[in-house]
Amino acid sequence: MDLEKLRAAAGNVLSRDDIGYLIGWGVGSYGFRTAPLFLRDAGEVHRLTFSPLCGSNLAVFLTMEYDVAAPAKGAAAKERIAVMVKGCDSRAVVQQIVERGVDRERLFLVGCPCEGVVDPGKVEKKFPGTVEPVRAGWENGAVVFWTGGQKVTLPGEEVLSAGCLDCSHPNPVLADIMPCEEVKLRRLAAREDVSMFEQKSSADRWLYWKRIFNTCIRCYACRNACPLCYCSDCLLERLSPAWLFRSVNLSENAAFHLARAFHLAGRCVECGACERACPVEVPLMLLNRKLAREVYERYGFQPGLDPDSPPFQAAFRPDDSEEFIL
Amino acid sequence: MGIKTKTGVYVCHCGSNIAATVDVEDVTTFAARLPHVKTARHYPYMCSDPGQGLIRQDIRDKGLNRIVVAACSPRIHENTFRRTLEEAGLNPYCLEMANIREQCSWVHGDRSGATAKARKTVAAAAARARLLEPLQQKEVPVEPAVLVLGGGIAGIQCALDVAGAGFTVYLVEKEPSIGGRMAQLDKTFPTLDCSACILTPRMVDAAAHPRIELLSYSCLEEVSGYAGNFSVRVRKKARYVDADRCTGCGDCARECRLAGRVPSSFDLGLGRRSAIYRPFPQAVPAHYTIDRQRCLFLTKGRCGDAPPCVQVCSPGAIDFEQRDEVVELKVGAIVVATGCDLFDPSRKPEYGYRDYNNVITAMELERLLSASGPTEGSVVLGEGEDASVPRDIAFIKCVGSRDKSAGSEHCSKVCCMYTAKLAHLLGEKVPGASIRVYYMDVRASGKGYEEFYDRVRREGVRYIRGSPSEIFQRGSRLVVKVEDTLASTPLEDEVDMVVLAVGLEARGDAGRIVDMLRLSRSADGFFLEAHPKLAPVDTAVDGIYLAGACQAPKDIPDTVAQAKAAAASALGLLSAGRIKVGAEVCVVNEETCRGCGYCVQICPYGAVELAFSERYSHETALVNEVLCKGCGACAAACFSGSMQQRSFRDEHILSQVAVLGSKGKGDQV
Repeated sequence: MDLEKLRAAAGNVLSRDDIGYLIGWGVGSYGFRTAPLFLRDAGEVHRLTFSPLCGSNLAVFLTMEYDVAAPAKGAAAKERIAVMVKGCDSRAVVQQIVERGVDRERLFLVGCPCEGVVDPGKVEKKFPGTVEPVRAGWENGAVVFWTGGQKVTLPGEEVLSAGCLDCSHPNPVLADIMPCEEVKLRRLAAREDVSMFEQKSSADRWLYWKRIFNTCIRCYACRNACPLCYCSDCLLERLSPAWLFRSVNLSENAAFHLARAFHLAGRCVECGACERACPVEVPLMLLNRKLAREVYERYGFQPGLDPDSPPFQAAFRPDDSEEFIL
Repeated sequence: MGIKTKTGVYVCHCGSNIAATVDVEDVTTFAARLPHVKTARHYPYMCSDPGQGLIRQDIRDKGLNRIVVAACSPRIHENTFRRTLEEAGLNPYCLEMANIREQCSWVHGDRSGATAKARKTVAAAAARARLLEPLQQKEVPVEPAVLVLGGGIAGIQCALDVAGAGFTVYLVEKEPSIGGRMAQLDKTFPTLDCSACILTPRMVDAAAHPRIELLSYSCLEEVSGYAGNFSVRVRKKARYVDADRCTGCGDCARECRLAGRVPSSFDLGLGRRSAIYRPFPQAVPAHYTIDRQRCLFLTKGRCGDAPPCVQVCSPGAIDFEQRDEVVELKVGAIVVATGCDLFDPSRKPEYGYRDYNNVITAMELERLLSASGPTEGSVVLGEGEDASVPRDIAFIKCVGSRDKSAGSEHCSKVCCMYTAKLAHLLGEKVPGASIRVYYMDVRASGKGYEEFYDRVRREGVRYIRGSPSEIFQRGSRLVVKVEDTLASTPLEDEVDMVVLAVGLEARGDAGRIVDMLRLSRSADGFFLEAHPKLAPVDTAVDGIYLAGACQAPKDIPDTVAQAKAAAASALGLLSAGRIKVGAEVCVVNEETCRGCGYCVQICPYGAVELAFSERYSHETALVNEVLCKGCGACAAACFSGSMQQRSFRDEHILSQVAVLGSKGKGDQV
């Protein structure tokens, strides 16, 4: 990954007349965090970064841009938005295109092949109490950190997000430019969490989720970090009719997580941004991956790969599996 | 809001259907204490006039504005009680039915448990009833035209009746001529009328009728819309003959290079025709058609130096440049009269239909007997020097009927009678012929049918009870191996010819029609009527009716009767001029809709589209209330809850769920 190449490419993109601004990652001001960066000026590309710390999914900002969604018919061409996307981020953009959340014509995707991003929980355990901004990078398959004047190299398995360890799409599936070289698909660890969990008895599973949902503080960080959870007026926050009460307790928390998981079935691209955003380490991807697996095994569908595919939840085939209907 | 909710709850005993299992008095006392319930009553038959009278009286006297009827399924009596509300001046959509019969008393045995469940069901209904909104049904005009699919006797009769009443008919027939199966028959039972003689005047009438547009050699491509307003696309296949110029003189067919070399499907392959043909002499329309699969010019690109048909056609009607044409029609009703297929006896190989030339089907015999058939009415087997007249003839009945092993369990209804008719006709044509009929049962119920069967037996046709197990050849003759089950005697009957009385079955392409029209089929493959007794002509789709053998095997009188019934049903819809459409349609909250289009994708009726919203300056969903059937699929698919179905809004359903999910056995709310 050549950061200078990426910055130069970003500068070129920003000099184009049709591009309004670029969304990228900027160096953070605290520990292992990076910050989203919105650039209009090609002269400021030195503020951009791309590293294992860029765990947030920037596609989340595309749907916030009011009129990117559902473009007006016959409206004058508007400026395009450039956005830096990892493999998983690009899948989120594809899914947004499929469900008309964004207009492909208004986007310019800067593809960033990625070798995995860190799990904030794991690095906190390795480097407890780190406050000063840390720099990081990939080197020969391992992750390196520069912190407290030292360079520390750690194997990916120890610090990367669990989802990154068996990432299926490290390279963007959709990009307008790809300034850096593609990376090789490497599966560091097969993820067995869903099948392991399925083997538990239903009583044990409920015991587990009861404990987990009790820890959730319903801060909605997961929802806000998710590029595919972007209704401007969330159904679950409405007062009338009230699907959920505002109280933070097991019943309402469980209902929130289950509703969100179902809304993401066949849509979640498994980027893991929700899990990294969670301050209390709710294993959100266990739910999302379970549903993704059901969708794949029953219907052979994987979201975020083909911008021309019909949206999964609005499509059916006469021979669709339906043995679960009583 | 302002107006206070005053709910009335009416608990029905349904005789003992409900009252034997559910304590209706207890449910009534319980209901009276529910929030917003002003009055609660029970009555032996709420749907009876006095029962409905109670509701009407209370609406007037007590000012009730929401009604809960705890009785049977809304499928049965929702409309009854909606009318009751309307008669008392209340909006019919202020009704909620609590199903304490099908979903409670009929499925439970324990009285206390069933009563507790009935209480909860009623409480949930009352909670929902409070939130119901008064709705208005829209009315739309009905397109004053009918599409009749199939130009057999059913379609022809139906078209004539509808057109006679003053409406336009589009009669679509896939073959080059109308007439259908009846045109292939020689005589009809039991009166022995010449089939063509009674049919062809109707064919001519249909073609000449100013309000019938005949679309022969055409097939249905697409249907959309709903009762009163269907849009239909019909493909008129190219005949390669200009219908306006063709005089039907037949010079082309005589001169065709393939004259006498193409098997005629009208004669079931017994006769031969040219590549340019007319299925039979009385065909309507009388124009010729070029068989695109056979014509040398169309298949090979050349036909000698020049196609002889072009050379001899003095009006210059041959047009190889002709292309299929798709026409769009607007109709208010559709009558499906697509007829049936005949059982293919090669599916019963023991009868040797494929192996022996003198094993033929009853329809083939019809063609042999017909004066316009390939033998001009003489029953001759073989050709040239081998030609012979059969003396010993055996009929085998129920070939492909009442036969599980052949995959068709149904009785084809017509075979008993056509066998008797053919046996009689053979006796006339072949004097001295010895004719026997192997049968399982003889079913001759119909006006004059038993008498005809009796007559045929008296004429010397022998009826032997037994299903032949095998047919094989011995020398130049056939042997029918069978047990005479009345005499308990095994027989080996040596005959010259075997006629298989094949059954009727659903059209092979019925699936296409089912998909296009959203019809259903019964287990035997025929189209399913809306109700076997009370709606035998209707289908589950409003505005689509069935006529003839596409619904079940039928003889000509039954077919004509059903065709007339279908015409009457269609006319009922058309003559009303307007049709009410559902009020419980879906509505969009434009403010929260972001135009993802899931609803557009999922709507089975094409009722939702995306339209630019000036107010929100992006596209949002828009429901066509006339097309919307209120299935709610879009509402279920909508993530943001922006799509809601009237009377089934989230708050309606959540209020019911809240009550049903509350603790306690219905003793608290």
